Amino acid sequence: MAQGFHQNFEPQQAPAFFVRGPSPFARLVFFAAFSLVLMATDSRLQYLKSTREHLMAFVHPLQVLANTPADLYRTTNTYFSTHHYLLNENLHLKNQALKQAVALQQLQSLALENNNLRALFDTHQSLPQPSIMGEIMHEGRDFSNKKVVINRGTHHQVLAGSAVVDATGIIGQVTRAYPTSSEVTLITDKSLAIPIQIERNGLRAIAFGHGRDNTLDLPFLPANVDIQRGDKLVTSGIDGIYPTGLAVAMVKEVKITADSPFARIVCIPTGGIERHKHILIVSIPTEETNPTEPDTTITKPSTQHKTPALQEVTDAPVAIPKSSAQPTNPNLVSKPHATE
Amino acid sequence: MQQSKLKSIYLSLLAAYICLLFPWSGLALQLRPDFVLLVILFWLLKSPNQCNVGTAWFMGLWVDLATGGVFGQYALAYTITAFVAAVYQRRLVLFNNIQQLGYVLSLLLISQLVLLTLKTFSGAEFIGWAYFLPSITGILFWQLAVALGLRTHQHSRHH
Repeated sequence: MAQGFHQNFEPQQAPAFFVRGPSPFARLVFFAAFSLVLMATDSRLQYLKSTREHLMAFVHPLQVLANTPADLYRTTNTYFSTHHYLLNENLHLKNQALKQAVALQQLQSLALENNNLRALFDTHQSLPQPSIMGEIMHEGRDFSNKKVVINRGTHHQVLAGSAVVDATGIIGQVTRAYPTSSEVTLITDKSLAIPIQIERNGLRAIAFGHGRDNTLDLPFLPANVDIQRGDKLVTSGIDGIYPTGLAVAMVKEVKITADSPFARIVCIPTGGIERHKHILIVSIPTEETNPTEPDTTITKPSTQHKTPALQEVTDAPVAIPKSSAQPTNPNLVSKPHATE
Repeated sequence: MQQSKLKSIYLSLLAAYICLLFPWSGLALQLRPDFVLLVILFWLLKSPNQCNVGTAWFMGLWVDLATGGVFGQYALAYTITAFVAAVYQRRLVLFNNIQQLGYVLSLLLISQLVLLTLKTFSGAEFIGWAYFLPSITGILFWQLAVALGLRTHQHSRHH
């Protein structure tokens, strides 16, 4: 009997009012401390990299689910796009193909000539780079950095550090590769630097993202530097990350103030980050690249033609000889990309 | 009853998380309310026994994963917000609709402020007052939910 009473008593719970476990303050302290530890571990040490990749595998199906409505909308739109539009586009593409075929013929003879010259100089042959087609899935969700997420990952041989381009120019660089998607930091992000060359006169510099508005800066160039409004910036290729001669940006304004020894140069990126959906991931697999390390060599215009150019560029497999970089040379390489 | 409630809590959190994963861009991205935090606050005020500071922290980690930032930023912001919400949860019964909205707005602002502080420490720049717009759209969503009959203190009024 006593036992029965006891059994009756045992499963009885305290009223819900009191069942709160540890106090909110205790929970706050515990979880806040945990978060702080996580933040420190993630930002200073590299332990959480694989954890993040494993967890992303769980998020990916949800991501696909969330993208479905937009994809469906686009598919239906494409399906119902009119005959007229397709005909127009066909005509336009044919014209473009014709123009590019002519350019390509010239390019072939030039490439042959270039190969012969390189053989004479006994330098590296420029390698054809493997490239992967991809699509932008969505913009980054973090206000503090400029990123997009693309639908190609390590399963498609995307490596962190690869350059990302579209039909009109460089977009950015892969900074984190997950199994089926990867994060691309845009060239307008504050943390990204890209070695460039002025197409007009071959002057080399480094462009930094501005961060807030979609522009690039060319800092630490002297006030008397030979850069004008409308100058095109192309990649110089000396970092071994970006292929040579791709369009990066166009100079919007050059401000020279009396109180600063440096010119303030604002550039607008050429690549259609906000307009295009299809992108190309170009990786140079032979090099181990560090995606966040900015290049630190800024060559001043005065020293440029004094240095033996070939010694400088031999470590970059895709670089063109600097002293022979007459205005026509980078022009030709970048022609298929600069379509505007 | 507890089981079904837990189920609805986690299902609604999952739905909010999928809302976060939508391919937002442009103005919509600037205006996008913090769906996950709104759902957490709703359950935190409605049934504090099932949804507490720990739930907020756990969801914060997943949001951190989705945003691609440093692990623990959203987790800490949600934890602090959930703590403030939990401390004043009993008083909510006395609030009228407007007071409740103000209360939720201040909670959303707290989470954004914590996040801003953490980001500033890691070198981000303040993007201007538009940064706080998601809190405003957040309370609009809250008001919409209230209008649709989701009352946080239904039990105390009707029973």
